[in-house]
Amino acid sequence: MAAISFPFETVLIANRGEIAVRIIGSLRKLGLRAAIVYHEVDAATPAVALADVAFKISGRTPVSAYLDAEQIVTAARTVGAGALHPGYGFLSENAGFARAVAAAGIAFIGPSPEAIELMGDKIRARNFVEGNGFPVAPSAIEESDPPTFLARARSIGVPLLVKPSAGGGGKGMRIVRDLDLLEDAVAQARSEGQRYFGDGRLYIERYVEKPRHIEVQVLGDAFGNVVHLFERECSVQRRFQKIIEETPSPALSPQMRQRICETAAGIARAAGYRNAGTVEFIFGGGEFYFLEMNTRLQVEHPVTEMITGVDLVAEQIAIAANRPLSFRQPDISAQGHAIEARLYAESPERGFLPTSGKVLMLDYPHEQGVRVDSGIAQGQSITTAFDPMLAKVIVHAPTRDAAVAKAIRAVQKVVLLGCETNAAFLARVLGDAGFRSGEVHTGYLDENPTIASGIDGDPDEVTGLLAVAALVTRPVRDAADAVPALHAAIGDWRN
Amino acid sequence: MFHKFDLGGVMHELWLAPTVNGYYLRILDGWSGPVAFAEESTGRGSLTVAGTSEAVAFAVDGDVIHIHMRGRTRSLRYVDPLRALASVDGDDGHNVARAPMPGTVVALKVVPGDAVTAGTVLVVIESMKLETQIRASQDGIVERLHVKDGDSFDRDAILVTLSQGN
Repeated sequence: MAAISFPFETVLIANRGEIAVRIIGSLRKLGLRAAIVYHEVDAATPAVALADVAFKISGRTPVSAYLDAEQIVTAARTVGAGALHPGYGFLSENAGFARAVAAAGIAFIGPSPEAIELMGDKIRARNFVEGNGFPVAPSAIEESDPPTFLARARSIGVPLLVKPSAGGGGKGMRIVRDLDLLEDAVAQARSEGQRYFGDGRLYIERYVEKPRHIEVQVLGDAFGNVVHLFERECSVQRRFQKIIEETPSPALSPQMRQRICETAAGIARAAGYRNAGTVEFIFGGGEFYFLEMNTRLQVEHPVTEMITGVDLVAEQIAIAANRPLSFRQPDISAQGHAIEARLYAESPERGFLPTSGKVLMLDYPHEQGVRVDSGIAQGQSITTAFDPMLAKVIVHAPTRDAAVAKAIRAVQKVVLLGCETNAAFLARVLGDAGFRSGEVHTGYLDENPTIASGIDGDPDEVTGLLAVAALVTRPVRDAADAVPALHAAIGDWRN
Repeated sequence: MFHKFDLGGVMHELWLAPTVNGYYLRILDGWSGPVAFAEESTGRGSLTVAGTSEAVAFAVDGDVIHIHMRGRTRSLRYVDPLRALASVDGDDGHNVARAPMPGTVVALKVVPGDAVTAGTVLVVIESMKLETQIRASQDGIVERLHVKDGDSFDRDAILVTLSQGN
């Protein structure tokens, strides 16, 4: 989409880290100026260095600065931005912010505030999707008609998940696989709901065994055109934190892929959705159900870009500039297989504790079909002030097997010294037999804790590490050099 | 002389001696044999163990040596025998509250001069999106705050120093 004109020259990025760098890349390509807001702890990051203009914002904590809509709108006005890209996280799904940006005469690069509100309210979104004839998990809500609650639940059929309406974090939840046990489960869940949340109201839905997380990328313009850009599978996660994403999903048949992708596009169309969005589904037992819609660019969008060749950020900007989509559904095709691995500042081997430190050496793999979206630079300090994601390693290859092998090599080539990361864990997940066979689900890592804890004690590796450590540690080397050379053949003479 | 390195909580003792064409490494609980390291550029080089070479990247940060080899990164700590003794000495008469993990200061609950009893909350920190209270491990007087509101710190950083006040 070269050489198109925009009604704005400067775009303010209300974000930080790798996604800010990613957005700047597309702005450059489109000939637009990149402005950014930053908290002082981010002053030395690549995003701030790359931007054409940077505006400092402050807050009680660094995160609160990036959540301060007023300061950010003021910054956008001050730098003369005609559009604002919110990235992901922070204010990206805040309808009030989208409204404030628009009220300031600045184009919000995202959906309408109404779409953000609709999809942000989980019950409303679910009812909207169901009302338009799309699949949601069959469920029975007690308060809609208490006397028929159990009968309605029975008619769904097993397995069932009984949840406190006020619940969260899995507390009070009961799985029922035998309808004879439903009443007991309801009584227990009610008492636990009462105890944990002071609220005994319940909600029952179809339980999906070994659920997989499959989502579909959609794009809609201001003229009612909506397309999908295929699915992404994000089942490798830990407590709702995605770790590895790929496309295409190894779980879908061509027919199922078409159904799920068309469903996503249909939901977006029904919502009059404009800009980039992602419709998330739970998939299991050959069926899929609407989970939620994310009204923003996703972290894992690069795998879609790799297989389709579409620059999603550039499309977002064009849509916000009121341009019609430059392609229709039949124009979009997918080539090969792409995998993304998220590099986090955390230690899977020590219970996923966050890590920090100064980046003393940083080197990423440089090869065809390997893309690294990174927000850090050598010399920078990694703190725990923000989300621990440092970078994303994305690979593209003709087949899934080739992509897995390439992803393993790529994460092993990431050299980040000074702050512990999950790189070795990523290589273990990618090399795991379950992952390689494509048989994963959202509980897979919890069911296989040795992938996180790692298996240590390769004596060869310990020898190598100690040899390097001994040879580069000044006092050890000095002490050795202070004695005359001996012949190695003498061996253990000190014994 | 023997040197100690901590690798993932396991202490390894070793000694290194020069040979005519490199060094001889003896690991007390492991392998012994000829080793050599050729630094090719800053932080990068080739390690040879028993005649087999492999590429290594490393960075030294004080006592900590970060090493990337065989596709993964590990960190070792050189345990300096003199420093180990000195720090025990330095803590005499003082009690410090250290950060159990890296994080950010959410609130300081005391000021220098405050008398505190064991269990008093000194600092509230945030880490992994969870707030944690850092409490005094014994009675004392707050001598010094090493951090201020909003500061980020690393694991083991000293947050507050208490004097024992007796």
